[in-house]
Amino acid sequence: MDPLVVSLPLLARGAATTAYLSAAAIVVSTALGVFFALIQLYGGLLFRTLIEAYLYVVRGVPLLVLLFAMYYALPYAGVQIDSVTGGILVISAYFGAFMTEVFRGAVLSVSTGQWDAGRAIGLTTPRILADVVLKQALRVAGPPFINTCIMVVKGTSLVSIIGLADLTYVGKAIVERTLAPFEIFGAVAFLYLVLCFLLSQLGKRLETRLSYVN
Amino acid sequence: MPIDLGFVARIAPTLAQGLATTLALAIPAIVLAALWGVPVVIGLMARARPVSVLTATYVEVVRNTPVLVQMFFIFFGSGVVGYPLSGFTAALLALVLQNGAYIAEIYRGGIRSVTHRQAEAGLALGLTPRRAFRIIVLPQAFRKVIPSLSNQGVLMIKDTSLAATISVAELTFQARLLADRTAAVFEIFFTLALFYLALTAVFAGAMRLLELRARIA
Repeated sequence: MDPLVVSLPLLARGAATTAYLSAAAIVVSTALGVFFALIQLYGGLLFRTLIEAYLYVVRGVPLLVLLFAMYYALPYAGVQIDSVTGGILVISAYFGAFMTEVFRGAVLSVSTGQWDAGRAIGLTTPRILADVVLKQALRVAGPPFINTCIMVVKGTSLVSIIGLADLTYVGKAIVERTLAPFEIFGAVAFLYLVLCFLLSQLGKRLETRLSYVN
Repeated sequence: MPIDLGFVARIAPTLAQGLATTLALAIPAIVLAALWGVPVVIGLMARARPVSVLTATYVEVVRNTPVLVQMFFIFFGSGVVGYPLSGFTAALLALVLQNGAYIAEIYRGGIRSVTHRQAEAGLALGLTPRRAFRIIVLPQAFRKVIPSLSNQGVLMIKDTSLAATISVAELTFQARLLADRTAAVFEIFFTLALFYLALTAVFAGAMRLLELRARIA
């Protein structure tokens, strides 16, 4: 029987794992990104420097190296963590840096006049931030946010190297047994395309939704 | 946990070997991707619909699939069709194909950012459209894309680490071998991270210099 047909159920299961890892990593990295961006913009010098150092390291070190570091080093440090959780955390920490840049840029794009306007009508600083600035920033953040989400989906493929049975791992395992790289990796690539396409569609809907909040 | 510097000094030569391979992969990959971006952006901006649609499809496909899968596709695929490529060549090809698409988009953004009036001013001076594009639009676009190219180059340097999975003996591969043979994983990954940080810092610094050089008064 055709190797592709036989392996479809396995690939589907791999795709489900990839979708799960991506969803978790997107949620966590977005939370980190918003939090770190706010610290970097409004935090004290110490915290700003810490965030700056974190951004610098992530910008210069490959995700694969961070995953290996987690995989090899944590057991030595006496930290017991399963590789799914560890993978999600490392990927989130990595893309959290990209998210920080996205949200920081978006907040900075809201003009300072908005702050003045908020103060003029007697709003407190946290309320200006939440109700005036962040709402507008979210709209600007839309497209780069979706781009970063797509990077996260693609980035999850690296967990295959530390032995997690995601889409890429399953694809490679099947190719090693069936010797049908074009069919299998073609199907794997197609499934990634579908996941990313769904994500950008979702992003577009979210964007139109947000543009009505005016 | 304290870092054993004596051990770091002992593994440095092994990692330096890996660094040489990383450089041998990263430099041609960045240069070729920057070059490959040119025909791709021409295709993207082509007036002939079939050409632009086909190019856009290529760009969308590679941008929405992991470079790791593309490496596997090329590496294992080339073996099956009877022209087995080395891991190095497969990694180089995958990096160029993926990043060339990103770089083409960067070029397109750069060209679009130069206002139409600039080209019109050239036409008014009697330049042919071709010459106006070449001597007015292109130099300004080039200046604008340098920071984005720098970012893409840094991402490419980091992505060369993926070649370790198709047995290219670059930095990450060597580090992993060391980690499998010794128990001093902190020292190994710490040094490895320093190597990458240095590499990306040097590259970004060089691009920054280029940016300053290209700037007009």
